[in-house]
Amino acid sequence: MFLLLTVFLCASVTVPLPVMFFYALIGGFLWDAQCSLSAMKVDPYVYPDPVPSLRFGVSILLFGLTGLFMHGFRPLFLQGKWYLSACLTGAATFLFCAGEYLLIDFARGSFTFHSKVFLQCFYTALFSIVVSPLIFAMLFQVAKWFHYAVIPGNKEKKMYLS
Amino acid sequence: MKPLNLIALLCFLGGATWALTRNERSVREIQSYYYSALMPFLKAGSAIEERARAFSREVHHSRELEEELQLTRQELSRLRQIEQRFADLESENERLRDAVEFKKNTPFSLIAARVTRRQTTNWYKTLEINRGEESFIGNQNPVVTAEGLVGKIDVTGKEFATVILLTDEKCQVSAKIEGSPEVGILSGRRSDYGDPPMLSLRFLSKKANLKAGQRVFSNGRGGIIPANILLGTIESVETGAQDSEALVRPAVNFNDLVTVFVIPSAN
Repeated sequence: MFLLLTVFLCASVTVPLPVMFFYALIGGFLWDAQCSLSAMKVDPYVYPDPVPSLRFGVSILLFGLTGLFMHGFRPLFLQGKWYLSACLTGAATFLFCAGEYLLIDFARGSFTFHSKVFLQCFYTALFSIVVSPLIFAMLFQVAKWFHYAVIPGNKEKKMYLS
Repeated sequence: MKPLNLIALLCFLGGATWALTRNERSVREIQSYYYSALMPFLKAGSAIEERARAFSREVHHSRELEEELQLTRQELSRLRQIEQRFADLESENERLRDAVEFKKNTPFSLIAARVTRRQTTNWYKTLEINRGEESFIGNQNPVVTAEGLVGKIDVTGKEFATVILLTDEKCQVSAKIEGSPEVGILSGRRSDYGDPPMLSLRFLSKKANLKAGQRVFSNGRGGIIPANILLGTIESVETGAQDSEALVRPAVNFNDLVTVFVIPSAN
């Protein structure tokens, strides 16, 4: 499942902002279709304190935010510093995991964030950093097949950076 | 901001709002379509996972045999290998016999299902089984093994269902304690990623006289989980200002689930 997030984060620096938003919409939708839990219809007399979970669609916003974070560093990527983007993929993954966990915390009304949660976020981020060069390579290959310039020419680059 | 970017942002927010305002039924339908579309890949993934497990077992087994070969003669080693194979078959046979016996002795009808995928989500504790609506499995049906309660059905499709495990905070079960009039609500603990995960039994009375080792059973209240299904054993009890809370070790080993049984709605 985290491969989807990593692919999205890597792709979000290779495309313009509107396309990134489109990817975020699709990615978040698929993520929630996989992960969201149904509301338990229980007898309120027996279970006075039902446990809520995140609404379907929250991940779309999280994907959008992390995508914006990655896209904010697109100028570095356009300068050919793809390795910085690979590291940022890890940071964005960490933010996504921690954000999702904190939102669950918020929905359930208490705050718990101990070392094991941190480690889970950290290892997921590490996984993202490790696989992102591979994903970038694949994205460049796909772009080549479709004659899309991931890193545009100097003229376009100047226009973009201005 | 460029007009195109603004339009894209508005479309994105519109899409997100559309998703956020879906009702429970639409969400279930979306999830059902999603899993149905993914089913061929999930089946292939499950087969690969099984092969990988078998390979890993084989590797482990080979290493053990290698050590034995260094210590004993070749003939003895060969016999040990055969003996080991028999032991594997015997334990597998015993496990299956237990499962059949459990199914025979249970007062309600059960549907056997194989676990196809574990921990399918990030923060929620879930697993996936290979039976669904075609086997009359419905939302919130209890899932058990010979050891006790595993969890409840969450999402169902034609040939699959996802199970929310007892170790998840969202899976609440009304429980009673052996040899005590106490009743409480048992649920998993958030951010409990320990091994084995523990459960919390809340809303016990302040003067609850409980001891470590007492068994916790479902009490059947609420009509979802039948009564007298073993949930776990008490590890410790903490008394608060208003009530008490017990730490419970689950009866089921959640890391070793291969076959589970679903109690269908007809029960």
